[in-house]
Amino acid sequence: MKSILIEIGELSYFAGRFFREVGKRPFEYKEFLRQCYNMGNRSLLLVGITGFIIGLVFTLQSRPTLQEFGAVSWMPSMVGISIIREIGPIITALICAGRIGSGIGAELGSMRVTEQIDAMEVSGTNPFKYLVVTRILATTLMLPILVVLSDAIALYGSYLVENLKGDVSFQLYFNEVFGSLEFGDIIPSTVKSFFFGFAIGVVGCFKGYTCGKGTEGVGRAANAAVVYTSMVLFILDFLAVLVSDIFYDL
Amino acid sequence: MKTHDKTAGEKLKLGIFVIAGLVLFIIGVYLIGNQQSMFGSTIRLYASFQNINGLKTGNNVRFSGLNIGTVKSISMLNDSIIVVGMAIDQKSSHHIHTGATAAISTDGLVGNMIINIIAGKNGGTAIAEGDTLLSFRKLSTDEMLSTLNVTNENAAMLTADLLKITRAINAGEGPFSTLIKDKAAAEDISLTLRNIHQTSAAALRIMQHTDQLILSLNDKNGLAGLAKDSLTANHIRSVAVNLDKTSAHLNEVVADLQSTINEIRHGKGTLNYLVNDTTLAIKVDTTMGKLDLTLDQLHQAGIKLNENLEALKHNFLFRGYFKKLEKEKAKK
Amino acid sequence: MEDLSIKKPVITIRNLYKRFGDNAVLNGFDMDLFEGENLVIMGKSGSGKSVMIKCLIGLEEHDSGTINVMGKDIDDLEAEELDELRTEIGFLFQGSALYDSMSVRENLEFPLRRHTKKFGVIKDAEPLVMEALESVGLAKAIDLMPDELSGGMKRRIALARTLILKPSIILYDEPTTGLDPITSKEIVQLMQKVQQQYKTSSIIITHDVDCARAIANRMILLIDGKNYAEGSFDTLRKNHDPKIQAFFK
Repeated sequence: MKSILIEIGELSYFAGRFFREVGKRPFEYKEFLRQCYNMGNRSLLLVGITGFIIGLVFTLQSRPTLQEFGAVSWMPSMVGISIIREIGPIITALICAGRIGSGIGAELGSMRVTEQIDAMEVSGTNPFKYLVVTRILATTLMLPILVVLSDAIALYGSYLVENLKGDVSFQLYFNEVFGSLEFGDIIPSTVKSFFFGFAIGVVGCFKGYTCGKGTEGVGRAANAAVVYTSMVLFILDFLAVLVSDIFYDL
Repeated sequence: MKTHDKTAGEKLKLGIFVIAGLVLFIIGVYLIGNQQSMFGSTIRLYASFQNINGLKTGNNVRFSGLNIGTVKSISMLNDSIIVVGMAIDQKSSHHIHTGATAAISTDGLVGNMIINIIAGKNGGTAIAEGDTLLSFRKLSTDEMLSTLNVTNENAAMLTADLLKITRAINAGEGPFSTLIKDKAAAEDISLTLRNIHQTSAAALRIMQHTDQLILSLNDKNGLAGLAKDSLTANHIRSVAVNLDKTSAHLNEVVADLQSTINEIRHGKGTLNYLVNDTTLAIKVDTTMGKLDLTLDQLHQAGIKLNENLEALKHNFLFRGYFKKLEKEKAKK
Repeated sequence: MEDLSIKKPVITIRNLYKRFGDNAVLNGFDMDLFEGENLVIMGKSGSGKSVMIKCLIGLEEHDSGTINVMGKDIDDLEAEELDELRTEIGFLFQGSALYDSMSVRENLEFPLRRHTKKFGVIKDAEPLVMEALESVGLAKAIDLMPDELSGGMKRRIALARTLILKPSIILYDEPTTGLDPITSKEIVQLMQKVQQQYKTSSIIITHDVDCARAIANRMILLIDGKNYAEGSFDTLRKNHDPKIQAFFK
């Protein structure tokens, strides 16, 4: 219990250090772009495939139930709201926690173990700024974009099922989807995605940066990055629902 | 350089990735915003309600079924009045006039609440920014259902009662059944009708008489000036017109009665009785009353006519004319 | 051997203490490094050699004692001044510590990006990179990635990366560990060559006797967190203290 509290305290301190250092010059522009590319573009395939399948399966599964109530025409609204509000952000974030979070944990961990981080510090580059700030910024900014793309792909998957099983045109489907959505759906979920991205970056970097000695430490760092990130994501998601409940009368 | 090319390619792909995400996001926001008429110029309209049935900001506003805006604000003025502000698309607003009413209803049976603006009947000027529309409380689904429930219960009771009545009629109980079943009663009515017929014939005769009178009044050149005394002539004319109307009514009434009685007479079986029963009693009753009245009126009209004629005779202006008339009679 | 007393010290350490939890790693360590000399510090694994040089360059914070580098007490330095000082101190890490996500070129350019005060704004790093690579004899490896290099090559590239800032002091942390004897010898020769070419003072941490013999002007034996014995390779070797003899067996 005590160790958990210490961990939380250190994590908060780590996040605080990010905010202190993010504004300081120089900004590691090149490394930031490289990380954006690594985290954004390279995750797209995985996130896209998952989103597509989620849209497909979700529609296939809920169709019979709606059919029972004769409410198949509500399908686009239902799928739209659930994907945009919840499924899109959380699934994308979890996948990125697995792919990006563990990647950061392992990379920084091994850099720590092989003294690359020390080497950086010695050669006059603040490794926190170079490695941590860029990565956290990259995850924070890339995740919302991944979420938007995955939402779009998931909706397209759902549309395909509707089009095959029922007889809904592209235009009607998306009219229905956006007709049922409000800013109260799209704004909180976008804001939420930024926080998700931030959490993935912070926890991954924290675990990697403070990695223990040896190869075992690297493995533990990568593993802990995923586990803690997933936990933090669910807690954040819960908080997001509470907060958006206050701002938007859902 | 190899590495340089690689980073340039990565930057390009990253750019495409970011732009794709942003474009999709903006399209999404735009589509939703469009739905809520957030873009384009709008005007603000207000309507106050006693009960808004859970209407929320962002709900649609419809005019003749077309989405033209959204609910922007809901504020409580006092304990019984809630003012709802609506943003209405400027283009559509030209077609809404000041006589229009706003009503809160549901979109479909279980859908969202919406505000329906119903065009006013009597034109009016086009609405302007800040206007307040008349409001009209439409039944919500809930209320509709509860009303329907009451109606249903009433209908059930009614049919139960009706069943009792028809059974009673069939069993030959009560005065009503006597009325329907008793042939004597029908004949009585028939007799009455005949009387009416006669009366109306008499009335017709009186009228014809009057007509002749008026005609002759007009024809007689010597008396042209007198006959054209507008007051008297109008008086006479109105009497005649009234008579005309009365007799026409009478004819209708008689015809109605006749057919009703025929139906009673020839109608057989419960169903027929049922069809006729409610109307019949009332018809017979009111018709009798009306007939009485009509006859009375006719009678009075006749008396009045006589009086008028008498008065005419004594009028010094007409005196010559009547004397002439008497002379002509005497000649014959 | 030159007379050391008239040489000016570039690094002075007095009474250095450092503990990790209950384990006192450095227990009142004293040391001087004079200009132009090669000082070898020997000690058992875990005796605190690495910790000591990390304290020296500010990678680890010491508990007490003073560290004076080129006339500056590192405790008094701001982060920026410390960075500036670090451009004067090259550090060759135990495992080379090449950035494995970057090519050799990028690895060498990396220290140049930040240390613009010493060199001004560098428009074209290519000549500097080539110069450093040539001095370690690996100019052809410029566009390779670290995982394409052998252990010895990595060590040399790491040395080149250290040299690119033209430091006046180089700290070698176990420069021959994990290398075969022949490669070790090559690295030691390279170190000697570099010392002549760049006129550096060096601290070499090692437990490799051959390396120490080849390069040491002076040696310090670090035992129990203290400078247990000090002197030239030969004088120490002739010492009969069993603790000292243990190093030379």
